[in-house]
Amino acid sequence: MSAKFTISVEHVDKSYRLWGRRSQFATLKSALLKRDLKLAPDASVPALRDVSFAVHKGEAFGIVGRNGSGKSTLLKIITGILKPTTGRVTVVGRIAALIELGAGFHPEITGRENVFINGIMLGLSRREIEQRFDKIVDFSGIRDFIDQPVKTYSSGMYVRLGFAVAVHVDPDVLLIDEVLSVGDEEFSAKCVAKIQEMKYRGVTLIFVTHQLDQVRNLCDRAMWLDHGEAVQIGDPTRVVDAYLQAVAGTQPAPPPEEEPDKQKDPQEEERWGSGEVILKRVALTDHDGRDLVALGAGTPVAIEMDVEVRVPQTDFVFGIGIYHADGTCVYGTNTDLEGLMPNALEHDGRVRFVMPSLDLVAGSYRIDAAVHTKNGRAFDYRRGCIRFVVGSRVHDIGLYRPQHDWKFEGGITFRAADAMRNVPAPIAEYIRANEEAKPKKRK
Amino acid sequence: MHELQTLYRHRQLIAALTARDLKARYRGSILGYFWSLANPLLLLGVYTLVFTILFPARQVTPYPLFLFTGILPWTFFAAAVLESTTSVISNAGLIKKVMFPAEALPLVVVTSHLVHFLLALPILLLAAIAFAINGDITLHSTIALVPFVIVLQTLFVAGIAMSVSSASVLFRDLRDILTNLVQLGFFITPILYQIDTIHSRPLRALLRLNPMTPFIVTYQDLIFFGHLPGLADTLLMIAYAFGSMALGFVVFDRLRDVLAEAI
Repeated sequence: MSAKFTISVEHVDKSYRLWGRRSQFATLKSALLKRDLKLAPDASVPALRDVSFAVHKGEAFGIVGRNGSGKSTLLKIITGILKPTTGRVTVVGRIAALIELGAGFHPEITGRENVFINGIMLGLSRREIEQRFDKIVDFSGIRDFIDQPVKTYSSGMYVRLGFAVAVHVDPDVLLIDEVLSVGDEEFSAKCVAKIQEMKYRGVTLIFVTHQLDQVRNLCDRAMWLDHGEAVQIGDPTRVVDAYLQAVAGTQPAPPPEEEPDKQKDPQEEERWGSGEVILKRVALTDHDGRDLVALGAGTPVAIEMDVEVRVPQTDFVFGIGIYHADGTCVYGTNTDLEGLMPNALEHDGRVRFVMPSLDLVAGSYRIDAAVHTKNGRAFDYRRGCIRFVVGSRVHDIGLYRPQHDWKFEGGITFRAADAMRNVPAPIAEYIRANEEAKPKKRK
Repeated sequence: MHELQTLYRHRQLIAALTARDLKARYRGSILGYFWSLANPLLLLGVYTLVFTILFPARQVTPYPLFLFTGILPWTFFAAAVLESTTSVISNAGLIKKVMFPAEALPLVVVTSHLVHFLLALPILLLAAIAFAINGDITLHSTIALVPFVIVLQTLFVAGIAMSVSSASVLFRDLRDILTNLVQLGFFITPILYQIDTIHSRPLRALLRLNPMTPFIVTYQDLIFFGHLPGLADTLLMIAYAFGSMALGFVVFDRLRDVLAEAI
């Protein structure tokens, strides 16, 4: 196995035994006497078929699929709770699995004692738990009740404490099975933030969830499992979309179009969707509707989408996303998030997303535009359909440049600086040309 | 050896779970840990009352102390073995949802019953001293050897607990079968009577086949009669202790992979 993968799953098959009264005893006998756990085909149900994938260190990997598609079985095999029938699973580092929060809490003893026992179960030593105890309790937010027996806890408090312990184990690999939806909004957000922090620190994450937004937002790659087979592995938005298409039944699932790990040209646009509605043209324009490919910070711009309606729709959402060239999402929104209720999408038309001032720091950016249903099934999804460059006089850093000014009072003074000295020549030229053009236009 | 390393690695877990069991057991009761002392004390009181006043026993005197000597280790054995049959099944949540060393579960049952047994021993000792002061028996230094027997018995019980805890997941009838076997075992183990009072040699040999016999006889030798255990009993105890541990590890190891599915 190559060392660059934290998790590697190779040709894993898993069959479950059918547990009849007879077969149970037969299993006991054969396990004890013949040491043979092979199953007769009629006595087993296949749960996973020839599943292979690898997850890099620090990557977030999502698994989607219908109920019964084998997602949880796969997680349990990676954790080591279940053994694959054939195939191999290799995991490097300490695993923590959030499969059921607070599994193993004993109702009769206090939260404090349960934190210790749960931590030991997850592989910490008593001293390690003592060091983390305050952080765990603070995170759970139930300090007032920590010395009460757990049986007096509400189910929300129970999972809060369970989650708090599990994420403070400092795992190298965190497996999460459908647990981010626990607790109230506030705690849910806290969980997601904590998971993002862990991802940032290089923890490898595997998610199993039905909350497809989480897969899209948190994952670097995703896999769609159907009846125990990996149908598609790759970009999370695409995989989620293919899955949604299949669930909606509008189209047979698109075949995996490319090798999942193949390096793609980042300049190339990716596009997918059912085609019932099409974004014929997407452009970044200035005030006068002229296409832009390079602009200065703070320029007023609009994203224009020419929409062609092939099948009229009543459930539709328009969305845009602005990404830095390194893949960081700068901003994303859609009509649904902003509370616009779809009425009718009957004929062709134009959508304009108007920004009075695009306050970005110098760099290369791309734009995603999409039209999809409320639950995320794409009609047309155009990833990276626009590339543009922002130039700037100032060599400031980051993504977003708030409109600002420096004010000094008292004995603090500066000499005027040459703001252009750090700007690459072609961009500087462009800015100068632009600035000279502006006053002319106003006249 | 590999299994022993695993157990050593999980010693904190076993200790923590045992403490949890003991705490949980007495949480909410007013007397708390005192019950671990009170239970055997009350038992001793009842035996003394029944066998000195109601039905004066002739065989061995003082009969209550003799009975008490045998019944404490027997209770340790019987309770630990019976409770271990459900130890894995009743923790299905852990086995299915957490990466958890399942062999810790029967061992936690054994250690928590060992603790109860150890808490009851001082009562036995006090009773022996009381009877000695009264002139009914004389105490001997052989009592110092009791810890060795306890170690051997614990190994023996732990091995059985590991076998039955895993096997009963696949074969649930085991629990009921064992309940009856243990009840029968109480009578074919020399607890209520002294083994020497059985005159038929074949019957005595049969009793010796019961693995608990050498342990109980040794406890009686060391505490009640004050002489060293016989060589046969000593060898049998060692054989049973290590044989049972080996069997326990083999059985548990072979069933481990199916436990999470079968529960």
